[in-house]
Amino acid sequence: MARIELSGIQKRWGKVVGVRDVDIEIADEEFVVFLGPSGCGKTTTMRMIAGLEEPTEGEVIMDGEVMNDIDARDRDVAMVFQGYALYPNMTIYENIRFPLRMREVPKGEQDALVRRAAEMTELTDYLDRKPSALSGGQRQRAALARAIVRQPQVFLMDEPLSNLDAKLRQAMRVQIKHIQRQLKVTTVYVTHDQIEAMTLADRIVIMEGGAIQQIGTPDDIYNDPANTFVAGFIGSPPMNLVEGAIDAGTFTAQGIEVTGLPAALSGNVVLGFRPEDCTVGGNTPHLKGSVFGVEPTGDLTYLTIKVGGQQIEVKADRAFRAELDTEITVTFDPARICLFDAKSGERLR
Amino acid sequence: MASQRRKSRSESLTLRYAILGGWALFCLMPVLWFLSIGFRPRTEIITAQPIYWPTFSLDAFWMIFEDWPMWKYLRNSVLAIIGSVLIDLVLAIPAAYSLSRYTYRGRDDIGFYILSTRMMAPAIVAIPIFFLFRNAGLLDSVWALMLIYAAINLSFVTWIIRSYMMDIPKELEDAAKTDGAGDLRILWEIIIPAILPGIITASVIAMIFAINEFLFTLLIASTPNAYTMSVALANFTGGSDGLIYNAIALVAFLAFVPVFIVVVAIQKHLSRGLTMGAVKG
Repeated sequence: MARIELSGIQKRWGKVVGVRDVDIEIADEEFVVFLGPSGCGKTTTMRMIAGLEEPTEGEVIMDGEVMNDIDARDRDVAMVFQGYALYPNMTIYENIRFPLRMREVPKGEQDALVRRAAEMTELTDYLDRKPSALSGGQRQRAALARAIVRQPQVFLMDEPLSNLDAKLRQAMRVQIKHIQRQLKVTTVYVTHDQIEAMTLADRIVIMEGGAIQQIGTPDDIYNDPANTFVAGFIGSPPMNLVEGAIDAGTFTAQGIEVTGLPAALSGNVVLGFRPEDCTVGGNTPHLKGSVFGVEPTGDLTYLTIKVGGQQIEVKADRAFRAELDTEITVTFDPARICLFDAKSGERLR
Repeated sequence: MASQRRKSRSESLTLRYAILGGWALFCLMPVLWFLSIGFRPRTEIITAQPIYWPTFSLDAFWMIFEDWPMWKYLRNSVLAIIGSVLIDLVLAIPAAYSLSRYTYRGRDDIGFYILSTRMMAPAIVAIPIFFLFRNAGLLDSVWALMLIYAAINLSFVTWIIRSYMMDIPKELEDAAKTDGAGDLRILWEIIIPAILPGIITASVIAMIFAINEFLFTLLIASTPNAYTMSVALANFTGGSDGLIYNAIALVAFLAFVPVFIVVVAIQKHLSRGLTMGAVKG
């Protein structure tokens, strides 16, 4: 198993910067998820760990050894791809056995290893089929089996679930986490799906514009976002962000007034609060607006409120109902409020 | 109501088959016509009144095999064609791999240059090639034909295989790399099996072009030692016996049959190969 260190990693193609100044240490057996919108540099970063892409600057270090000049095939990593990348001319058995053959694992041991990997991924009955005869979920499991079969130092998974439907995705998520814990292999996982990131990760690395925005446990990232990008990216619906002014501990924006904030702050700031930290009504409400939309989902009701020119999302009680355009007030949990600099978007503490 | 619908459906199906059948007959007419010529006696070929139901005769069939070294021509054709296709594949597959997979300066120019060799009129290079082969002592040999056919077809065999390779997702190669495979292994175990239909298509098209090749064969093959079917066919039109139309028809048919069988067998891939990757398969 391995420790991975990315030190000052940059990737440029001519003038285009794909990844800038990525520094991170990944502990042995850790499950790290790179999360961000498409084009944020997360896949490129992973490909540099795999050796499929060469960093323009910086070092990829595994267990203290600089890997920059080492070929992908000589790094002990296994990768699962978004499109599965199963070899179409080979059966599933052959697909899973391929890495063992390439790494010259003794022939006598190959069969047992293939069968073990197939068992862990529930593919035993499909070993003699070609990839084209399998469903999406089965193909994904076959790709996973091919990755785990030779027990590599590092697993790299590039959006492995994005081609599956929601139900299957959830089942596979559990399976991936289970297998990772079982095999205790350092894992780097790339996704744009925050639910996957929150559920799988020991630590999440949020990327945007080629740079790391925040590194932290899922709880850190959710409760303590480092900037407006992270705040607006994580959560469903994400954190409400309202621009306004703060003076003497009081934040004011159109329709919103919050008191009791740190008195040292002044000027333009962004106020952030999560939809679930809001209560409709209350004795000293912070927000006044009109009902724009009510969406009951069964276990709760999504309430959209129009305040000034902006829409605010609130998670209300499941029994909550209201007529459109009626006046409504909302109280926030003051302990859960975040403030960000209006210009840089950075968190103010 | 339902039976009426079924009836009109079967009627439209019959009509469709009738039209397609008619068209097929129209296209096959020349073939049927020279078959009919080939299997009739020489006396029934040129007549004042057309003979629609001629006497069946194998005269021409026996003649072409007994009086002419037909087996030799056939053997020359087969050797030269298969040899040329093998040479093409050995050269074209690595070239196509390089053109489709690596980025280097001038890659697209090299690709275009390879294709452009096909655009030249063969007559322009006929005389230089004749001297080249004469100086190399290769005139009048099957080996020379192999080389010539290979050279003529190499450009588009490369191009077709390249287009198939371009369609293979890059992920497959990345997966093979992280699985521990080197470039040659990837080519041999992953790419070639995945583009096998493309390789077959390119080979068949190369074979067809080679079977039909006439100019260079005539230039290089000066005796029956190196004659192929296409040149033999031309030789039938002259000689002391005068024009032997029924023999010509049969030889033409013999030259046509192998191509026909191969084309029918791979027709699904053929149209794809001919568009050279312009249309996704």
